[in-house]
Amino acid sequence: MQKFLPSLVMAALSVSLTGCLQSEQQDAKVLINKNPYPSTYQALPKQNILIKNATVLTGTGERIDNADVLMVDGKISQIGSALTAADAVEIDAQGKWITPGIIDVHSHLGVYPSPSVESHSDGNEMSSPNTSEVWAEHSVWPQDPGFEAARAGGITTLQILPGSANLFGGRGVTLRNVPSQTMQGMKFPAAPYGLKMACGENPKRVYGGRKVLPSTRMGNMAGYRMAWAEATEYKRAWEKYDADYAAGKNPEAPVRDIELDTLKGVLDGEILIHNHCYKAEEMAMMIDLGKEFNYHSGTFHHGIEAYKIADTLAENGNCAAMWPDWWGFKMEAYDMVHENVAIVDAVKNSCAIVHSDSANTIQRLNQEAGKVMYRANENGFEIKPELAITWITQNAAKSLGLAEKTGSLQKGKNADVVIWNQNPFSVYAQAEQVFVDGAKVYDRHDEKYQAKSDFLLGQR
Amino acid sequence: MKHLKLFKSSLIALALTSSSVSFAQSIAITNATVHTVTEQGILNNATVVIEDGKVTAINPESVTADTVIDAEGKILTPGFIGSMNQLGLVEVGAVSRSRDASDKKADITFDASLAFNPRSSVIPYSRKGGITSNVVVPRGGESMFKGQTFVADLSGEFDSVRVSNNAVIIDLGAKSKGSRALDLQKLQVKFEDATKKLAKAKKKAKDAKDKKEAKEPSREDKVINALLAGDKALVAYADRATDLLALLKLKEIFSLDLVFVGAADSVLIADKIAQAKVPVVMAALDNLPGSFDSLHASLENAAKLTAAGVNVALTVDGDTHNLYQLRFHAGNAVANGLSRDAALAAVTANVADAFNVDSGRIAVGKTADLVLWSADPFELSSHVAKIWIDGKEVSTQSRQDKLRDRYMQQSNMPKSYLK
Repeated sequence: MQKFLPSLVMAALSVSLTGCLQSEQQDAKVLINKNPYPSTYQALPKQNILIKNATVLTGTGERIDNADVLMVDGKISQIGSALTAADAVEIDAQGKWITPGIIDVHSHLGVYPSPSVESHSDGNEMSSPNTSEVWAEHSVWPQDPGFEAARAGGITTLQILPGSANLFGGRGVTLRNVPSQTMQGMKFPAAPYGLKMACGENPKRVYGGRKVLPSTRMGNMAGYRMAWAEATEYKRAWEKYDADYAAGKNPEAPVRDIELDTLKGVLDGEILIHNHCYKAEEMAMMIDLGKEFNYHSGTFHHGIEAYKIADTLAENGNCAAMWPDWWGFKMEAYDMVHENVAIVDAVKNSCAIVHSDSANTIQRLNQEAGKVMYRANENGFEIKPELAITWITQNAAKSLGLAEKTGSLQKGKNADVVIWNQNPFSVYAQAEQVFVDGAKVYDRHDEKYQAKSDFLLGQR
Repeated sequence: MKHLKLFKSSLIALALTSSSVSFAQSIAITNATVHTVTEQGILNNATVVIEDGKVTAINPESVTADTVIDAEGKILTPGFIGSMNQLGLVEVGAVSRSRDASDKKADITFDASLAFNPRSSVIPYSRKGGITSNVVVPRGGESMFKGQTFVADLSGEFDSVRVSNNAVIIDLGAKSKGSRALDLQKLQVKFEDATKKLAKAKKKAKDAKDKKEAKEPSREDKVINALLAGDKALVAYADRATDLLALLKLKEIFSLDLVFVGAADSVLIADKIAQAKVPVVMAALDNLPGSFDSLHASLENAAKLTAAGVNVALTVDGDTHNLYQLRFHAGNAVANGLSRDAALAAVTANVADAFNVDSGRIAVGKTADLVLWSADPFELSSHVAKIWIDGKEVSTQSRQDKLRDRYMQQSNMPKSYLK
């Protein structure tokens, strides 16, 4: 398991034998390429665009009525009234609403695509409780027709995660929702990787059924701790190698371990945790687990019981991604309340997110957020659309480590924009035009901007 | 057959006794915008009187009732009718001992109503969606026949099963093992054999001097015979157009009362389905090509089928716990081209008609399952203001509300002390 130890010992031996001479010849430094499948994404053809007279929800908690939004060179350039721009195409959005592009932090599009045939069921490497070595991006089928359906719902950015059977499910990847022949062509440039972890029923059911650890929740915790302990050693070994090399020695590099590379990435603060975790007591332990091993416990996904520990989540800087109303399919999903997201959001420094985990509801995250807002307002809250939109824009971007780039309509941010035919929190609301980096990727009233996957071409 | 009819009428008798005891009070709902889902359409400033579990008057000359409720112009609709789920047969999906919808050995005679639990926490929760009754569908076992549906109201009372064994469920189409052809073949052969047997028995009964010799049909045969007699509907899960066409052919040969469920590719043959008067029960939000059988799934299908003259009923697919969302599905169907009236019918009268249930409309003599809405029933922002099941007002409070209230209260004691 700890493959690097023998070689370290070897390295130490050889160093002592050669007498540790300063003049020793150094081998080439062993470097790890952290971005071996780089993004090739390029914005679609675009023009500068001036959207006029809309109701704008900025994603930062603000609402501006009768506002204009100017997009220049793929970035938000200006928001205000009576804007003019000589070289921009004008869109009259009287009566329409504008929001940042919608972000889903939890999707399996491409890895569990439509049609759901065995040949494409690539979302969960259910062969070991720790598969930190797998990367969801290597399973993405870019021709999943679900990407198009999601685009028609205003989704511009989405994180594709591995499934939840394993304690460590592997790396997630964040994509731009644009058509491409390759995964790399969709990959969000410079977005941090995510690591999918899973609490609770799924890992213990899947592996308990095979009579291997974990078969209990304490087995889950033991599994995480053993892995982090090993990753800590791995990180130490590399740091020692780097330090020795820097000191002019010629150390033997630790044996490369693809699984531990990912965990080390978390310990180094480069990879963000995305943790499938429903229950209050489990989320609280996962927060402590992060402290035990010096990493941040990240975003809790499907946090059905997040409302029970809303203060703890905010104090520790954890985002919680939730559904408005899914429940009862498992014991750990039994204590759902419609106001979950609102209760989490109400705490200072909180980060409440509405997510889908569904090829279907990803098409209506606006409605999912709307359900929360209205139910909460029936029960003592006074949530306005300008706040509710943050659950599917700014807070989601924060969870993905992309808040500097997308998730809000602010000068200099990527021009990821949705024009809605009305208040997006209506059951009748529809996205009319969707822009990614200032380029129109969808238009409900212009077939030219309605992409069709290779799979459906010629048969629908 | 005889046995089944007896069973049905005894249930009705049971229901009558219990209702005459509990609801002697009459209620008048005045000043309502009544969506009757009948030829009467929408009645403004209307009065609906209910008594003994029935609607007894609409806009009577004078209002005399024990209780008068001013609806203040709000919308009154028939209670919405859920279908194709396992309400009362499942508490928690992944907890095997809380599930009763399937059994490996279940066959065409499977009567899951015996397991119905009116105390399930999913029932009060589903009332939040204005659901007053529901067609519960068993999931069966290895047989292509999954058992028989039953209809239950959402009162939470122990007598809430209204009709049991009212339709037969069959699951057709794509298979993980084997060919769909064999199922279609088997189905046809079953009907052919039963028809022959019936003819033979009839002839025998005529010829035989000693009638005792006539053999009673098996329980399974009795169900097939009920399908052939049109006493029960055959409710078929199928998506691909070829499967639907094969079923239409069987309907024609054997005069079946046929209902389609799912029917993702039905838009390809919408005219034929309309002509054959086969209702389609579908999930309005199913728009992805989930399989090669459903390449034509679309958000616009409910509108397209309705425009072609098909009676469309809407259902929430997937987990039973999502039943309350039915009204939002209807709203989305409207956003994608279905008229509001058609959408309302699709969650009320059309469901009732497909499953031969006596509710889903506001008319004199109909079961008083009614919902008064705060505003547009399909909108995310609206909610159930009042809800009556079998003429009795019920609550929409559920354990979810208790949990919310507990965690929104401040206390220096642990939350467990807040009840």
